[in-house]
Amino acid sequence: MLPTGIHPTCYAHEARVLITPRSRVWLAILIAGLLAFPLAAGPYMLGVFTHMFITLMAVYGLYVTVGMAGQINVAQSAFVGVGAFATAKLSEYGLPFYLVIPAAAVITGTVSILFALPAARVKGFYLALTTLAAQVVFPIVILALPMSWLGGLVGMSVSPISIGSLTLSAPIHFYYFTLAFVALLTVAVFNLKRSRFGRALLAVRDNDVVAEVMGIPVFKMKVLAFFVGSLFAGVAGACLAYFLQFVTVTSFTLFASVWYLGMLIVGGVHSPVGAILGVVFITLVQESLHDIANSLMQSGASGGVLFALTSVALGGCILIALIFEPRGLAHRWQVLRTAFQLWPFPRN
Amino acid sequence: MKVARSIFAAALLAATSMPALSADYVISASADYSGPFADVMPNAMSGINAMADWWNKEVGAKIGVNVEIKIYDMRYDPAQIAKTWPAILSSDRPIMHLGFGSPDFVTLMKRLPTDKVPMLIGTAMVGLVWGPDGWHYSIRPTYSHEFAGLLSHLQEKKGSKLIVGPISTQNQAGFVDQVNGVRKLAETYPDRFEVLETQWVEASPVSVTANIRALAAGNPDVLLVGGTTAQVIAAASAMGELGLNIPIISSTHNGLSEVAKGVDLNKLNGSYSAFSFAPPQRKNLPIKDVYEQHKKEGQWGLIAAQSAAQALLGLRVLEKAVAKVGADNVTGEAMRNALLENVFTEEELLGALPTLDYDETAPFPVGDLKATAEVVRDGKIEPLTDEWLSVPALEKW
Repeated sequence: MLPTGIHPTCYAHEARVLITPRSRVWLAILIAGLLAFPLAAGPYMLGVFTHMFITLMAVYGLYVTVGMAGQINVAQSAFVGVGAFATAKLSEYGLPFYLVIPAAAVITGTVSILFALPAARVKGFYLALTTLAAQVVFPIVILALPMSWLGGLVGMSVSPISIGSLTLSAPIHFYYFTLAFVALLTVAVFNLKRSRFGRALLAVRDNDVVAEVMGIPVFKMKVLAFFVGSLFAGVAGACLAYFLQFVTVTSFTLFASVWYLGMLIVGGVHSPVGAILGVVFITLVQESLHDIANSLMQSGASGGVLFALTSVALGGCILIALIFEPRGLAHRWQVLRTAFQLWPFPRN
Repeated sequence: MKVARSIFAAALLAATSMPALSADYVISASADYSGPFADVMPNAMSGINAMADWWNKEVGAKIGVNVEIKIYDMRYDPAQIAKTWPAILSSDRPIMHLGFGSPDFVTLMKRLPTDKVPMLIGTAMVGLVWGPDGWHYSIRPTYSHEFAGLLSHLQEKKGSKLIVGPISTQNQAGFVDQVNGVRKLAETYPDRFEVLETQWVEASPVSVTANIRALAAGNPDVLLVGGTTAQVIAAASAMGELGLNIPIISSTHNGLSEVAKGVDLNKLNGSYSAFSFAPPQRKNLPIKDVYEQHKKEGQWGLIAAQSAAQALLGLRVLEKAVAKVGADNVTGEAMRNALLENVFTEEELLGALPTLDYDETAPFPVGDLKATAEVVRDGKIEPLTDEWLSVPALEKW
């Protein structure tokens, strides 16, 4: 809902992400805040944000596949892994990061097509199982290949990024590096929904029979949804590889895939804002619980019990979020925003 | 003038009556308070803290150095380590890092030479990272070296060729490496050891009865289960089902004290844990006395003994570094040089470790390696011997 007095005069105006001047001011404040954040934050907090940005890139990809096209995907972690291994291998040849990251994204997208082809033919549980196969096959393939190719069981180390004489090793470097990429992907994902391709994905999600009748190539769109979602995963994997400077199959588990999906569901499946809110919410809860558990642990509580309790508490937070707001935090955000826009008039 | 003189005299008096200033250094440590090893962390960290308290009082005060141990919860997670390590570097400027397990390795191995901070870990090494010029070291050789020490002892006792039946997990690099190292032992000493075909099982298997039956066909003298506690428990159950009684050899992370939490030790009579620091039950162990006097929490046992030994070696390295560069000039590089240039005797290490010598060829002690073991006798865990076991020479596999 728009505030009183805003009357779009053309489609382009109506389709804008930021319609009101006030929303543009808020965005400017957010950008300024993110840019200035390292001035106030310590290295650990910069690390937390860097990791959060990388996670957000992966969840954006999931939003495209699951949220926009309605294709369940429980293999996003495997696709992030493909991007990470591609980065490790390409950087071995001394390629600069600005070639490695796009190449890793394309490689990941291409690999995803292998699984998208069968996945696009099935729906529901069968689709979930097909993508699960991708998650299961990923470590098996890496381990089966000769060790000299992708490191096998040992994994591969990744050289840090060098830009001229500057080597990106400090937390502040990685913060700005990943912030730049997440900003780029944010623009892409917000615009995707307004594009012809994005609308086709939404049509396929809402009713693929009707979409077919309307002339949308449903099969192609489903495959492309996986491809585009995996491009995001590839960029996330590349950034993760540069951040950790080491990649191993054990980092890209089904558990991580489920977490990515959980973040999207908690945030709201049908909006890119949901991806942002889900990632921020889960990260915040995880970090807070970790801090509390740590404090209790230092004061003598049993570690095993605390570890179990933090997992239970995290699950509880997700359950509460879903029970009270099944449409995700993005809907709550939308309600809040509308109330703010209409203030001081009452909202029905 | 009188006032100025009085102030000067007071300042002089204050300065001369102050205790001698000591150089303060930080040694950082990885913990896992909220990950898979949270249960054992209080004991692990108590070992490190007790050693630091003792050393500051007994040694540091004499050489003008004070060490602060800063413990960070890394959750046994590479991503968490990657997030935390830069914060440690910038806020603490540690002269050494006490690592905990493979996540520390994989995340920090490449960074340490640039950051100029050596890392010392308490868990055993794996052959996979056996390379020169690293900044990461273990107080222990590889798991395979430790197994080789025990296997050699058992073979000498048996007199003829010792047949080993390995059970491991194929998708865990470290576990596969353990078996590869033992195979190398058999290749190097073919008249002493034979290794049967490995039975690959899940990390948490429901049953390994079929695998034990397959191994039993080769008449093994011992089963080598260096992977997980669940595998050791499953192997013990399987032998109960099959009416077999073959001793199991495990390591520390899946050792007898861990297994005892899930199975009656009477079922494991004759089984072993192999490692290379002094068994906590060893008699006349000076490090145990120091721990008991200085611990603030925790209980003496395998994990406390391991972490105390790890911290003690780090502190002895600091002593050598101070002797070389002076109390005020110790850096991470000076610590690494001190580690590589000196031999650390068993006496200096309070009996916790055998005499250790490091060089640039390997990330673990070199030369005359020693191991040790625990055994279950009458349902109780005891040190196998009071002496160290000699480890046969092993080439890189």
